Amino acid sequence: MNRLLATVLALTLSLGVAAPAFAQSATLDKINQSGTLTIGTRTGSPPFAYVNKDNQWVGFAIDLVEQAIAPALSRKLGKPIKVEKKESTPPTRIALLASNAVDLIAGTMTDTRARRDSVDFSLTFFVTGAQFLVKTGSPIKGIQDVAGKRIAAQQASTNARIVRERMPTAQLREFPDQPAAFQALAQGQVDAYTNDGIQLAGLKVKAPKPDDWVIVGDFYSYEPYGMAMRKNDSDFRAVVNNGLMEAIDSGKYFELYEKWFGPRGEVPYPLTPENRRFLQLQAVPK
Amino acid sequence: MNYQFNWSVLWSGQTGAWLLQGVLVTLEISALAWVLAAALGVFSGALRTVPYRPLRALATFYVEFFRNVPLLVWMFFWYFGVPPLLPAVVQNWVFSHGAEFWAGMFALGVYHGARFSEVLRSGIQSIPRTQFEAAQAMGFTTWQAYRLVILPVALRLIVPPATSESLNLLKNSSVALTISVAELTFQTRQIETYTARAIEALTAGTLIYLVLCLSIATIMARVERRFAIPGLIVRVG
Repeated sequence: MNRLLATVLALTLSLGVAAPAFAQSATLDKINQSGTLTIGTRTGSPPFAYVNKDNQWVGFAIDLVEQAIAPALSRKLGKPIKVEKKESTPPTRIALLASNAVDLIAGTMTDTRARRDSVDFSLTFFVTGAQFLVKTGSPIKGIQDVAGKRIAAQQASTNARIVRERMPTAQLREFPDQPAAFQALAQGQVDAYTNDGIQLAGLKVKAPKPDDWVIVGDFYSYEPYGMAMRKNDSDFRAVVNNGLMEAIDSGKYFELYEKWFGPRGEVPYPLTPENRRFLQLQAVPK
Repeated sequence: MNYQFNWSVLWSGQTGAWLLQGVLVTLEISALAWVLAAALGVFSGALRTVPYRPLRALATFYVEFFRNVPLLVWMFFWYFGVPPLLPAVVQNWVFSHGAEFWAGMFALGVYHGARFSEVLRSGIQSIPRTQFEAAQAMGFTTWQAYRLVILPVALRLIVPPATSESLNLLKNSSVALTISVAELTFQTRQIETYTARAIEALTAGTLIYLVLCLSIATIMARVERRFAIPGLIVRVG
């Protein structure tokens, strides 16, 4: 933690000397020069981005970048573009973007209006909502039951915020990562763990005894995942969005969805017809 | 640099209240942990120098075991490892009454106690052996010699390194956010969640830590001057 503070202090000091960029697209320039797109992603959010059993850093979001966005960048810049991955967490990801350490956040970041004040988002590439993970047989069936209960949430997530606003008597315990929150749930420190439904599904599948856990409740929040990038760089954003739209048009997106969320995927999570339609509607004509 | 600063997030809405809350929790957990660490440190530091081997061995075990394991691991140990050892009723009560705070407090206190212990030991060992012998020659028991002669001098000698150690303790309290203690660093993250202003929030946190630590350092410098024994401890300036 002290290291993080030190990094940020160094970073804020360096802001004073960094020259403002006036180029048409500073990010495209940077990628053109280095031949590399640097993304900030997660290591523990299956199946979006995580380190798998074979010690490979993979996931749905990473596939989208490598198979949809990087090719779009290559076409735009006329040369092959390599993808480099860096770890980013909710508290660090905006600072990483601002300091130019990464060019694109591709993980499980929810697009919100407040965040749009600091960063720009690509189109929505996944839709989910918050639910609760509880022990099988728990009396908690949804957000209406959490008053007075001990609820674990992920630090710096939109879910914790909504629980705090809607159920002020719930005792929130916020953990920086999934494993600690799940451990607290398994040991009884908390009665339920709330996170985006898809993340809970990922956690349940990976648990030693998946049948001991159930995901309950209707979505009490709307969590559209987007890829974040530095503000006011619309040329770069257009390339990212074109990449995603082409993947939706060509069916590549759905192929990747099937690979990660299909019946034989890492975390089975069928695509609803509404969500399929929503994704297709986002792809504007050529 | 493509980032527009918006410092007003630090005083608009609830952020001011959150930061204040975070400061209070940080001070609370640090103060309690400091008392525990000082008590354990004085006790085990003194034991490490007494002329009885089993007591020395016990203190050495405590120091080497606790200071050589990362603080983060101790946090998890006290939060995840200790509660299952308690009876179910007690467990449930503890979970509803700030288990994470107490776990964090013990982790910090016991860990820093081991480090305080070494600071005190070096203070005691810098006192000439003849003082202890003189005390014994005057008929003091070992307990009396430590309480009335050795410790009063040693505690004055170690004020500067003990200050550093105390500041470390305060800053290390931020590790408690891994077990969901809502201290200062935790609150800066909370501000980031609501406002997406990570750099502003972390800068505010940094400055608050700086001010807290400078205040403690100033107070300790005064303590040092106030309690110096004229002629025994040379002070400059």
